[in-house]
Amino acid sequence: MLLFGLDLDYVLVVVLFCVGLYMLVSKSNLLKKLLGLNVMETAVFAFIVTSGMIEGGDPPILVAGTAAPYASPIPQAMVLTGIVVAVSVTAVALALIVQIHAHFGTIEVDELKELP
Amino acid sequence: MKPWSLLLVLLVALPLVVGVVNLPPHDAPDAPIHTGVGVRYLARGVEETGNKNLVTAVLLNYRGFDTFFEVVVIFTALAAVLALPRGSAADPGGAPAAAAKAANGSDIVPVSPVVSYVVRLMAPFMAMFALAMLFRGHVTPGGGFQAAAVFAAIFIALGLVLGPTRVAELVPDDWRPWLQGAAPLAFALIAAIGWRLTGAFLGFPTDDHTAQEAMGLFLEVGIALGGGVILARLFVEMET
Repeated sequence: MLLFGLDLDYVLVVVLFCVGLYMLVSKSNLLKKLLGLNVMETAVFAFIVTSGMIEGGDPPILVAGTAAPYASPIPQAMVLTGIVVAVSVTAVALALIVQIHAHFGTIEVDELKELP
Repeated sequence: MKPWSLLLVLLVALPLVVGVVNLPPHDAPDAPIHTGVGVRYLARGVEETGNKNLVTAVLLNYRGFDTFFEVVVIFTALAAVLALPRGSAADPGGAPAAAAKAANGSDIVPVSPVVSYVVRLMAPFMAMFALAMLFRGHVTPGGGFQAAAVFAAIFIALGLVLGPTRVAELVPDDWRPWLQGAAPLAFALIAAIGWRLTGAFLGFPTDDHTAQEAMGLFLEVGIALGGGVILARLFVEMET
């Protein structure tokens, strides 16, 4: 779908990415920063999957009832890999945030900076 | 709100929009993604890999190395989380630690009997769904990672209503490290078998469809078991 000559799906992906980036840089709560990072990751995944779609295409599962053209299977497999890596990053970051809270009693970056 | 953060976001957005404008429309049949190697996967994937689900074919056969080290990544994430020092011993009697102790003590909210009943009622059906995704993943949407997510969801939901200790008993202690490492171990084993059969690391014998399917299924089972146990363990680690 085109909007002023722009591919609307790609533009929305850029908007989503920027929302995530804004959360990441403007919030001082570490959990909110992590949420922003996850929103950015989601935007990247949406971008990659969208790029593999094709007009009137079926999913790339070659069984009875589906017909060419098929969506490209490569972006979908790549995104599956990306999601697992994103989950791993989120898990390690959450564990670190839990540790920070246990040691300092806060997860606000500006409060952490003022600690002796 | 910091004004410079909005400025930074705009600075990043500008090149992104410029880049996106110059891309071909995302569903055009002549976009580079539909003329590259994907064409070959679509044309010969079923014949070469025996997987009707070509996403599984790309994941396990064509890009097996990617998936091998992807399961190593999530295993490493668990290792990193487990390696962190446990508990809040470093904070002797701080206000947040005391508050946390109070929350874990008498003020804990009891589990609603409705929630508990529904979760226990649904658990077998969720397990059936996960198994269907696991064993039909090569011909229908699904696969090892998806099944792993559902398995982990069952463990987490049951852990919330029954208490984590009763669910942890489901996995015997001496099996735990093997299950957590199931996915990389399965990949290493299949890679060695593939080496023996075809002379290529992680190679699949293209002429023997039975062997190919058995190797693929073994990988999927390894991914589902390993991934499910790792995800559930990560959740438990966050809680304690």
